[in-house]
Amino acid sequence: MVKLAAKCILAGDATVGKSALAQMFRSDGAHFQKNYTLTTGVDLLVKHLAVPDTNDSVELFIFDSAGKELFSEVLEKLWEHPNLLCLVFDVTNEQSFSNCAKWLERVRAQLQGSSLPGVLVGNKTDLTGRRVVEASRAQEWAGSHGLEYFETSAKEMENFEAPFRCLAKLFHQLYRERLELFHSLV
Amino acid sequence: MRVIDLCEASEGTEVILATSSDEKYPPENIIDGNSATFWATTGMFPQEFIICFHRHVKIEKLTLQCYFVRSVRIDKSNAKEPVDFERWVERDLVHTEGQLQTEEFMFRDGNATHLRFVIKSAFDHFVSVHRVSIEGLNVSSLT
Ligand SMILES: Nc1nc2c(ncn2[C@@H]2O[C@H](COP(=O)(O)OP(=O)(O)OP(=O)(O)O)[C@@H](O)[C@H]2O)c(=O)[nH]1
Ligand SMILES: [Mg+2]
Repeated sequence: MVKLAAKCILAGDATVGKSALAQMFRSDGAHFQKNYTLTTGVDLLVKHLAVPDTNDSVELFIFDSAGKELFSEVLEKLWEHPNLLCLVFDVTNEQSFSNCAKWLERVRAQLQGSSLPGVLVGNKTDLTGRRVVEASRAQEWAGSHGLEYFETSAKEMENFEAPFRCLAKLFHQLYRERLELFHSLV
Repeated sequence: MRVIDLCEASEGTEVILATSSDEKYPPENIIDGNSATFWATTGMFPQEFIICFHRHVKIEKLTLQCYFVRSVRIDKSNAKEPVDFERWVERDLVHTEGQLQTEEFMFRDGNATHLRFVIKSAFDHFVSVHRVSIEGLNVSSLT
């Protein structure tokens, strides 16, 4: 039985719903913030997740980060030594999708050699009539960057836990792989 | 007085605290004299462990075997309890793929009852500490 701890960067353009997703996840679906409150710098949320089919668990330290460019300098400092990445865009906003490349690059710049397991999340799927980013396109981009893809609606409480569960699983897998590596050294 | 291995179990040395604990890879593995067994960290850095000698010792040489450690600091204390640590040495390590890091430290001012190892940063998400061996002298019992 082991309890892992991971620093998870939650990033993406302003108003895509990062804080809404994080709040939903933390409150187990009890709390959806309807009115927009912009995040300044980083809000930290901590949530404990069991890893299925094991006795192990992962404590996720979610760094819900500001999407507004204004705060980017603060972010670089707070993002040091990330373990996981949750990259979010709004399926009704083309630019929020194309900016994912920029966000990915900025977070990966924080790494010194090591890999960064991550997921891409297309949020606001409840706004069906206004969708401009098709799932297949997002899926393809995610795949080509080594990310798993999820679609969510924080508003309708759709699938909001899945990306975080996936991240916990990826981190746990990485730990297992490292243990094997450590065993192989001597 | 004769230089001995201060970590040998018969000498009563213990790891009394570690910030990570996977029961399959416990911190005792650090001082069991075996490089094949290890303590694994399970999360974010810094990570720490404290070695307690249960006596006053004078350390002459310390060898740390580990993997993926980027920067480590060792603090020491001469108190009866694990308190009043002072900074002792700090070092940046190099990483060689697939090869255990073996780092040697020599000391003249080696009087201690406790050592605290702080792994400040790493080359990866997790590190392993395979062995700490410490050569020195038994000085006196705690009173
Ligand atoms: N329709 C719909 N609206 C959503 C959804 N998720 C969030 N919103 C709304 O979108 C607005 C912005 O959400 P936030 O979570 O604050 O956005 P953010 O990404 O944290 O923005 P910054 O903190 O500025 O980076 C809020 O008014 C939310 O209520 C969703 O799934 N569907
Ligand atoms: Mg926000």
